[in-house]
Amino acid sequence: MKAAFFSPVAYQGTAPGGWPVPADAYSDEAAQHSYNASIERFRLADETGWDWVTVAEHHYSPFSLTPNPMLLAGALSQVVRKAKIAVLGPTVPMLNPVRVAEEFAILDTMSGGRVIAGLMRGTPNEYVTYNINPEESRERFREALELIRMVWTEPQPFGWQGRHYEFRAVSIWPRPVQKPHPPLYMSGSSPESGALAARSHIGIGFAVTTLPLATKAIAHYRSQAAAAGWAPTPDDIIYRCGLHIAASDEQAGNDLTSGPPRGRFSISNPALESAVAGTSYYGRDFEAQRNRVARLPTIKDAVEQGQILLGGPESVFSQIMKIRQLIGAGILDLVLISQDDGKARRAIELFANKVLPRLHDME
Amino acid sequence: MSFQERYVEADGFRIRYLEAGQGAPLIWFHGGGGLQLNKLHALLASKHRLIALEVPGFGDSPVNQRTKNLAELAATMGAALTALGIDQFDVMGISFGGALTLWTTILLADRVKSAVLLAPAAYRPNRSTPPTPEQMRNMLYAHPERVPPAPPPPAELTQKQMALAIRVMAASPQAEMEAGMKDCKVPVLVLMGTEDRLIPPAMARHYREILPDCYLVMVYDAAHALDVDRPEACFAVIDDFLMRQGKFVVSNEDGAIFP
Repeated sequence: MKAAFFSPVAYQGTAPGGWPVPADAYSDEAAQHSYNASIERFRLADETGWDWVTVAEHHYSPFSLTPNPMLLAGALSQVVRKAKIAVLGPTVPMLNPVRVAEEFAILDTMSGGRVIAGLMRGTPNEYVTYNINPEESRERFREALELIRMVWTEPQPFGWQGRHYEFRAVSIWPRPVQKPHPPLYMSGSSPESGALAARSHIGIGFAVTTLPLATKAIAHYRSQAAAAGWAPTPDDIIYRCGLHIAASDEQAGNDLTSGPPRGRFSISNPALESAVAGTSYYGRDFEAQRNRVARLPTIKDAVEQGQILLGGPESVFSQIMKIRQLIGAGILDLVLISQDDGKARRAIELFANKVLPRLHDME
Repeated sequence: MSFQERYVEADGFRIRYLEAGQGAPLIWFHGGGGLQLNKLHALLASKHRLIALEVPGFGDSPVNQRTKNLAELAATMGAALTALGIDQFDVMGISFGGALTLWTTILLADRVKSAVLLAPAAYRPNRSTPPTPEQMRNMLYAHPERVPPAPPPPAELTQKQMALAIRVMAASPQAEMEAGMKDCKVPVLVLMGTEDRLIPPAMARHYREILPDCYLVMVYDAAHALDVDRPEACFAVIDDFLMRQGKFVVSNEDGAIFP
């Protein structure tokens, strides 16, 4: 089993919630500190043996300062020496797919074939960012996925006569180092996404979910994959959740209750989400998808539901085993709950020393 | 768009053709299933003088055992166009008709202004057993459920047509074709459906590798019958290519949203 260290590069300063967030409280110094702190944590995770480092795309909010995760991944390719660099991922339906393929090819070349390509649809609010109709989200994604694969693999210049994309001559340089292309993942929370991932023979990732919902979704993915003639392995399944690990369960619990409140940078905007909900964005499993993150649970519930790993090394390991048992995930994508520099550093090292070797032994 | 059915005598054959539209002549060669018109033909005829020729041995014409290969068939079709008073023309065809288009382009290069090959069968996988009509329907279309149901053609007609198409294609040497392709200066557009289940889409790259002035365009979410699956998408790129040949890679679309 593998572990990925994910940082959304949350803003290390004071700012309001909601979305989009006005920039009147923005501080250059706080933003620069946020980047420096995250890059140091990525470097530490790499040095201490974490398998992957992960970046993601979000816009217009202190929740995450990586509107283009490819740029940060480019910087990480020069800092992170051994770990794979996972971009999970560009929000594909609102981007130029050829550009996305090109940027992944640059990253794969610069990192010597260490890039992991997650293609995402983004959270509902992202559709406002570049003025894309969320109704088109799934169709654009499906087409872009096929186009990106062809851009990576077709050696002759070609044009593309799509529904949402049209190109007359595509022939990218550089090309991906990994053949035929970097490992692909997509979000697999909804039945539609799980079916598409299975049909397309690509891995899936779960984020902002709960173990019961992911258990249901993984069963669907597996059955669809079986229908398509293949069986997902643990390496095809990523599970993202929060992590706070300390020397003991008691210490870990105290750290959380004494620190700043969780979820302080919400990207929730109820009016906007209601508008998006009126489209096909959420698919046919509407209520489950929309309510996945409807409320912030208590810490105890969050641990129980698999939304966070919390405790000393033994407890964290047993919480991971539950995830492994229920959904068969082979890759844990972990985001630190504590933003305190000292606690974050200790958590990265402690996880690497006490938990990671046991996960690696499972392979 | 109303097509007129006519006949022309050429090379010892009485050749049926359907014609509509005004302007420079655009020749259509049908696939192994025979000459059937669809929305793409109507769109093409709205901008061009479309002449869809029926290969001797297809449809109601007598069994054709005389034509040996695609080179002979191309010569026959060239003679038919001469008989119609047509010297210079654009030519296009699908599947078997795409292979015929390629041979016509190679052999009549001084008369062909530009060529469009749709899912051409000049390169095709070896298939041990031919698909059943039901399998064929599922292989032809990306979304068979969207294609209006139609009674299958009589088995003897399908047999007659496919036997001819397979025989003349098999007797058309690849080495000779490729030698001709290397020297062919005619601009050629190749369209391939991303969901083609009869000819793997990756085979389309052979045309790009060998023809000196070739443009490959993938038609997303279309199978072998890409003219039926996505007629508007096919028409847009074909029409642009016929108007501008190689310059069609440069966008001339109006990108302004508001004045």
